[in-house]
Amino acid sequence: MDLKWLDAFLISGLFDVAMVMGLALLLHLQLGLGRIANFGVVGFWGIGMYVYGVLYVQVDWPFGDPWQFLVCAAAATLAAGVAGLLIGWLISDLDTDGVLMGTLGFAAVVQILATTQDDLTGGARGMGGLSFPYDIGTVKQNEFLWLAITAAVVVVILLYVWWVHRSPYGRLLIAIGGSEPLARSLGKSTFLTKLGLFTVTSAAMGFLGAMNGVFVHFLDIGTIGVAVTLAAMVGLVLGGTARVWGAVIGVILTVGLFDIVVQSYLPLPREWYTQAIPVLREALFGLALILVLVFRPLGILGDMRRDRLMRKIHGR
Amino acid sequence: MEFVTQSLVIGLTENAPLVLAAIGFALLYRLTGLINVAYSETITLGAYFGMWINTTYGLDFYAILIPTGILAGALSVATYLALFRPARHHNVGALELIIISFGLSIFLRHGLQFVFGYPERFYDVPSPDTIMILGVGVTSFRLIALLSVAILSGLLYLFIQRTTLGLQIRALASDEDLARVSGIRPLAVTTLIWFIAGVAGGLAGAFYGVGASVSPLLGWRQFLLILMVALVGGSWGLGGVIVVGVATSVALAGMALQFDQVLYAQLVLIVAFVVILKVRGSKLTETAKV
Repeated sequence: MDLKWLDAFLISGLFDVAMVMGLALLLHLQLGLGRIANFGVVGFWGIGMYVYGVLYVQVDWPFGDPWQFLVCAAAATLAAGVAGLLIGWLISDLDTDGVLMGTLGFAAVVQILATTQDDLTGGARGMGGLSFPYDIGTVKQNEFLWLAITAAVVVVILLYVWWVHRSPYGRLLIAIGGSEPLARSLGKSTFLTKLGLFTVTSAAMGFLGAMNGVFVHFLDIGTIGVAVTLAAMVGLVLGGTARVWGAVIGVILTVGLFDIVVQSYLPLPREWYTQAIPVLREALFGLALILVLVFRPLGILGDMRRDRLMRKIHGR
Repeated sequence: MEFVTQSLVIGLTENAPLVLAAIGFALLYRLTGLINVAYSETITLGAYFGMWINTTYGLDFYAILIPTGILAGALSVATYLALFRPARHHNVGALELIIISFGLSIFLRHGLQFVFGYPERFYDVPSPDTIMILGVGVTSFRLIALLSVAILSGLLYLFIQRTTLGLQIRALASDEDLARVSGIRPLAVTTLIWFIAGVAGGLAGAFYGVGASVSPLLGWRQFLLILMVALVGGSWGLGGVIVVGVATSVALAGMALQFDQVLYAQLVLIVAFVVILKVRGSKLTETAKV
């Protein structure tokens, strides 16, 4: 496969877009449907990445790739799912303030453990030794294949989100997000529904974290900061928290525009790339979050189709 | 016994700004219903304002406290008038207000680096004297910080609980319509709340900054502890925030001594606070009324 036409920065930028898109789609289920304000997305993503990395590098497996990858990724998904179950149990019946504290606290715990358990994680020095679970030729070819696999995973998540929107389960989530006391009064188990949602979506975030570990090859505690949560949240809010395609469009317009177009194709001074561009990116993402929520709270795509239909039927 | 006295002295002197910041945050939360994530940047900017006045005009640390508090208070009021008040007029929900404050926090944290530069900054102050208290060496800055925080916390508590303006603030918090009928001007009182909270946060930032260094993440690193103290202690009013804040400061120092690692102490506290919140349940209303 001749990939001379493909820039290495473009592969990396597209991978970032796919990764954040996957996280934003999962956040859409939590925040857009269930109204669970998960400010600790990076915690679940990070635990997946670190569990995968530690198991892959530190354990002497009796078999090699691709089984090694599959077993480690499954364990990472399970770890994130168990964490989601625990945190979900803690926060599912709390108000937004408690959810904020629980999810932010969890993200902080993951970062503290990644920093302090340096025998396992490498701590502040970081941890290398990760590789692709295959070798099809050059680095660029391996990266391109991993990008394609990640994109396929994101498409599966998108299909799942699409299915949730059209299923009775999705309607229950929307009802809970709209008015939890009302859903409870109708005999629905709101706690268990939110717990199930949080566990499954957290596990999927952990799996994406493991996939990110494979691509970057090197785990660094600097990568499990609040920027990951911000990127997913700003993409989702810009596109529209209530719509399936909101996360997709929003992430393309934010991460895609900045990480690919601005960083790779605009003729900016080289010295800007070390500090000015990353700082500007975060500042603009923060500003976008503010402006969208103040002036267009439903994002570019607006509210759900069913809400529009109801307004049409009832003439409101 | 030595462990207890060390924990008490180190906890109270090193973490005194935590109590002041938590009071400011809780005041805003209890009286306006808003979880303001950008409060962490009020703390950070307080540290930067203090450092800027100190290094630009050559004023000593104690002289910069009043202008620093005023600047931080003004910034806090500006965010209310420019952002949270219009957002309320646009009928933005409680959850969205928290996300807006999260966005504002990120914007200010990164935007300030274009103004103050990327590297860590330091106050230009003479080396502090070391004073022995119960066998533990404490710098004069930390001791003055503790005294200042104790005085400011007491004044804030008395202001809210005992003055006419404090009564108006509490009345507005409990029933806005009734307060309005009683002749209380909501805009003036709410602006006052934001100013006081900003002053408390800014001064806490200055005390944090002079004790170590000033960096963009200064406030964010403290935010989770402040949030936890305000949420758990806030159920019992400002007095509860002070008690939980002091207990947290001492526990943090004690565990840091025990584990020889401050991060483990933070980890235990985070878990403990989340479990407390779970057991107690969230009783406060979700309706934000900035």
